[in-house]
Order: sequence, then C-alpha cells, then structure tokens
Amino acid sequence: MNFNIEALIYIILALPVIFSAVAATNLPGRELLHWLNRIFATAVGGAIILLTGSFNPETPYIGEYIYFDALSMWMMIIIGALYFAFAWTSKAYLDRDTNKRYGYLRRFGRLEGRFYALSHIFVWIMLVVVVVNNLGLMWVAIEATTLVSALLVAFKFTRTSLEATWKYVMVCTVGICLALLGTIIVYYIQLNSIGSANPLDWLYLSQHSSEINPAMAKFAFCFLFVGYGTKIGLAPMHAWLPDAHSEAPALTSGLLSGALCICAIYVLIRNIIILMPAVGIDFISSLCLFFGIFTIAAAVSFVVVQRDIKRMLAYSSMENFGLMVAALGLFVPIAAQAMLLHMFNHALVKYSLFYTAGTIMEEYGTKNMMRIHGMMVQVPKTSCFLLLGIVAILGMPPFGIFFSKFYMIYGFFTADHPWLGVISLVLLAGMLIGILYHILRMLGSQPKRRFAGELFGVIDSMVIAGLLAVSFAVSACLSEITVLNRLLECAARIVLGGVA
Amino acid sequence: MEYLVVFLVLVVFLQTRITNLQRAVICLASQSFIIAIACFVLGLSSGNGIHALLPGVLTLVVKVLFIPGAIYRLVGKLKNEREILSASNVNYSTTAAALFLVLGYVIVERLLPGSAGRDIIAASILMIMTGLSLMVLRKRAIIQIVGLITLENGIYLLGLLMTEGLPLVVELGVFLDVLIAVVVLVILTSRMRLSFMTTDTSVMKKLKG
Repeated sequence: MNFNIEALIYIILALPVIFSAVAATNLPGRELLHWLNRIFATAVGGAIILLTGSFNPETPYIGEYIYFDALSMWMMIIIGALYFAFAWTSKAYLDRDTNKRYGYLRRFGRLEGRFYALSHIFVWIMLVVVVVNNLGLMWVAIEATTLVSALLVAFKFTRTSLEATWKYVMVCTVGICLALLGTIIVYYIQLNSIGSANPLDWLYLSQHSSEINPAMAKFAFCFLFVGYGTKIGLAPMHAWLPDAHSEAPALTSGLLSGALCICAIYVLIRNIIILMPAVGIDFISSLCLFFGIFTIAAAVSFVVVQRDIKRMLAYSSMENFGLMVAALGLFVPIAAQAMLLHMFNHALVKYSLFYTAGTIMEEYGTKNMMRIHGMMVQVPKTSCFLLLGIVAILGMPPFGIFFSKFYMIYGFFTADHPWLGVISLVLLAGMLIGILYHILRMLGSQPKRRFAGELFGVIDSMVIAGLLAVSFAVSACLSEITVLNRLLECAARIVLGGVA
Repeated sequence: MEYLVVFLVLVVFLQTRITNLQRAVICLASQSFIIAIACFVLGLSSGNGIHALLPGVLTLVVKVLFIPGAIYRLVGKLKNEREILSASNVNYSTTAAALFLVLGYVIVERLLPGSAGRDIIAASILMIMTGLSLMVLRKRAIIQIVGLITLENGIYLLGLLMTEGLPLVVELGVFLDVLIAVVVLVILTSRMRLSFMTTDTSVMKKLKG
C-alpha cells in the first residue's frame, strides 16, 4: 500500500472520530466495542509508523489548515504510542472497574461506549493540536482538550472527582482565556506590523518574525506563558494538576500526564518561536528557567508528604514538566533534543505507572499508600511493574529517562547555568528519596490487608513491559535508529527557532 | 457606542450585586446582548460581507439565547438548596469592580494614550477582572459560571475592538468552545446538586496538598 503524506494525515485524523461516533451510539456489544477500539487504535498507530517512514523531516507538509513538520511528527509519535497503549490496556481496566466483586463502576450499566467515545475524541483533539497551522486553532484545540478531558476526569462522578473536575475546568479555562488574550494581542501585532495576509498562520508569522514590533510582544508573551503554563501545570498555577490526575480513571490520568500537558508545551514552543526575535531570548530563557525550577521545587516538597499514590505520581509529572520547561529555556541544541526525547520517555513510563497505580487501587481498594504493605508477597507481578516503572521515572539507568534527564542536566552545564544544574540535581535527588521511601514501604514489610488478588493480565502486562522496553530502546539506541534520530535533530532545530 | 459602554458598565456592576441566581442569569443575557449589538455596530462599520454579521449573529444565538437558557433551566431545578450565603462577598466584589474600572482607565492611558476605543477597552478590562473576581470571591457554582462567561465576553470585546475580530475559523472555534464549556459546566453543576445537595462550591474542600 502506498499512501502519500496528505492521505496518511487525513486517515490518522479520521479514524478516531469514526470510532467515537460508533462508540457513542452504544450499539455494538461489549466485546465488539473492545475489539473495534483496538483495531482503530492499531490502524492509527500503523498509519503513524508509515508516516514516520515516508516523511522527510527537512520538508514540512503544508496544507490549507495543516502544517506538519518534524516537531509535529515527533509529537504525533508520542500521542500515537499512548493511543496504542490505551487501546490495548483499556479492556483490562474497564473489566476490572466494572467487576462485580470489587469494581467501582459495578453499580452502573454500560459505560464502555461513553468512555471510549470520550477518550478517542480526546486523543483526536490532541492529534489536531499538533497538526493545525494556525495559532488560533491551536488555542481552540487546547481549550477543547480541557473540556473533553473534564468529562473523563469526572467519569465516576464521585464527590472528590466532581471537586477535582470543577477545579480543573475553572483553573484551566481561566488560564486558557488568558492565552486567548495573548493570541489576540499576537494577532493585533501581526495586523500592525506585518499585515492582514494569512491571519495567525504559524509558518507565515515565523518567516516574518523579525518584523514584529517588540513593544507589545513582551505583553503578549507574558499572557501566553501564564495561559499555557497553567495547562502545563507550572508551579503557581498548578492547583488543578494533582487533583485531576489523581481523581481521573487511571487510563485518563496516563493520557493527561503523558500527552495533554506536553501538547500545551508544544503550543507554547510554537508561540515562543514566533515571539523570540521580538521579545529577546534572555527574557524567555529566564522566565522558563525560573518557573521550571520552581515547579520542580514545589513538586518535591509535596511528594514527601503525600499519601495518595496517584497524587504522588501527579507531582512526579509536575517535576518532569518543570524540567522540560527549564530545558526549553536553555536554548542549546542538546537540551532541546533531550527535552523532546524526555517528552517521549516520560509519556510512556508515566502511562505505565498510572496504569499500575490503577491496578493497585483495584487490588487493595485504597489509594492510600500508608495502608498498603507487603505487595511483594501478595501481588508479585504488580509490584515488579511498579518497581520497574518507579526506577524508570526517577531516571536511573538503564531506563530511557536516564538518558534524557542526563542530557538535560548536561545542557545546564553547557549553557553556562552550572548552579541551576546543581540545584536541579539536588531537587531530583530529593524527588528520588521521597518517592522511593513511599514505594519501598509499600513493597516491603508484612502484608496487613486483604486484597483482591493479582489483577495484571497477559495483554496488559505485555503492553506495560513493551512501553518500558520501547522507551529504553529508543533512548539508548537513538543514534542507531536513523529515522528517529534525524527527526529528533530536525525537531530540536525547530524548537530553537530555525524554521525548516 | 458611548451608550453601550455605559450600559455595559451598569450591567457589570449589577452583576456583582445580584445574589439571586435567576436574576444573575438574566443579567448575563443582557450583558451578552450588549456585546452582540457592539458586534453588529463594529462589524457594519468595517463592513466586509459575512464576516461583518456572523460574529453578531453567533453571539446572539450562543451567548444570549443558548447559554443563559441552559443555565436558567438548571437554576429552575435548584429548589431546596442548602444555601451558605454571605452578604459581605457581594460588597467585596462591587468594591473590586469599582477598583477595576479605575485600573482599566489607568492601563489604557498608559499603554494606548489617546486611542479611539478608550472607553470600550476600559470596559472590557473591567469585565475581565470582574469575571475573575466573581469566580474567586463567590462560592456558588452558577455565579462562578456567570463569572467565566463575563471574563470570556470581556476578552471577546477586547479582541473585537483591537483586531475587528479573529479570523473566521478561529472565531467559530472559540464559539464552539464556549458552547461546550457551558454544557460541561451545566452537567457538572447538576451532578454536584445530586452528590452534595447544594451547588455551593465551598463544600468541596476534600482535595488538598
């Protein structure tokens, strides 16, 4: 089969919508729905692999509403990988959640259709975010992700999930409204200094970015940074993040943490590229570095006192986002590449961790880490995956995150910020101690609690192990995988402002 | 336009005083109605085909009819509500609104001295800040939704004045998002009524740290 790039992009964008329309009708039976879900996601994954093979990173594809370059391709690979993992783990999760004996959703009827429809639309909107060519449409798509994922976060409609969702919608919508204000100011700047042709078109703006009038640009950048920073979960605006991540169904938490927040980083990067010449690299750099490191510091202090396992993972996500934003603020090639690689690794590892945490919640009927002991004895398979995931997320070799974190820290030293490098190393060490303390307590000592049995099945174990292995293989052998290596180099060049 | 600004400021101040939910929704509808008229006035004065009328028509349909209608229906169901009302919040938000009006004019004088739409920009800054203060100071879900829409209206008005509206596709997307946002918030509020027997968000304080 030979498709050109345009056809592949349209296929990728069409399939999730078709499936969610089918799922929303709730007509197919449960088994059929699960299989359709897997088939569609696998087809999208296959299309993304074909696209990666045939796409030349040096020449972006330009359509009427689509702009597709190496950076978009990289983001699409991340989202596609998570989409695939989601589809192949969802049946195990939903079966467990609706299980007669211990599942939380056992009292409700057929929820699979609704869950699938919302989740696939959610993934679809994230795919739209990375392919549209227009800053305004990017804003629209990011806001739409908030709204669709809000329904997913509130999926169980418990009191706490309602509270989390309310906070999520309110905080994120206000933040995103500020980003809209920033986008409007960018448009105003464009009208005044470049002209009214191609309104808010990213490529056009980035080619004319040197003509932007600096007076208003800084103003616009502040609004954009605060707005999208809220969505990323940067420290003073992070209030929604731990709540939403901890109350959502485990699969949704994985998607939120792995894909959604980095989509916000992606849009921020697109805006930074346009405003960089006008605002000045120093201002952007210091803002990114400060808020990035501050986010890590805030996350560390909350992790140590945490009792809820998913909240702990959410704070660990915050730490990773903080590190990514700080690495973005360095503006050196190695840090930019490492940041993009870290997005990939973090997405895969964090998805597997959230899935494992969801399994533990079902096995023990609690999220409270203080009430779980002796997992090693009771549920050896789950504890194995938990330990592997935690070791991976903390950045210990040989897992993938070790490489990306290492190069990001290395970037601090090459970019003449050695002290910030030292500070972030100390903070990462604090993170490691905090998380390992909780996890090892859960794994070790004597079991004191009844449990529902080992709930890890065959397919989901394979998917989770696969995620960890792929993250390791891609990061460790990056220089051997020519396609990805070239893609990553081109994407990093785009991040640093060199438009293809 | 001057009359519109006067009415707008009046409506926004009224918004901060109202504690009755039904009246708050009607107030929101009239606020959006003023925005719609502003859309028509500005659109027809620049006058370029469908783009001149569409934002006004959309504002009328989405923000004047649909959104207040949906919230109004929800308010109708909130009968035996356990109310935790504090009158002092009302005074705070009115005082805050007065300060924001002054602040708006100060910002306009500093940033864009002598610009033509000075009053409208000040009014939109007032709306943005008042919307924020309604969301922060008031505890009831409906009032917070009203604050969100006020904030959005303010940003929309500012965009309308600064750039004569966003590109058409983006504008449609923004309207769609506002629409979905209200649907989601209405769903959440009605679930909140079932779970907590109230729509006062101050009962939701379990998640901390």
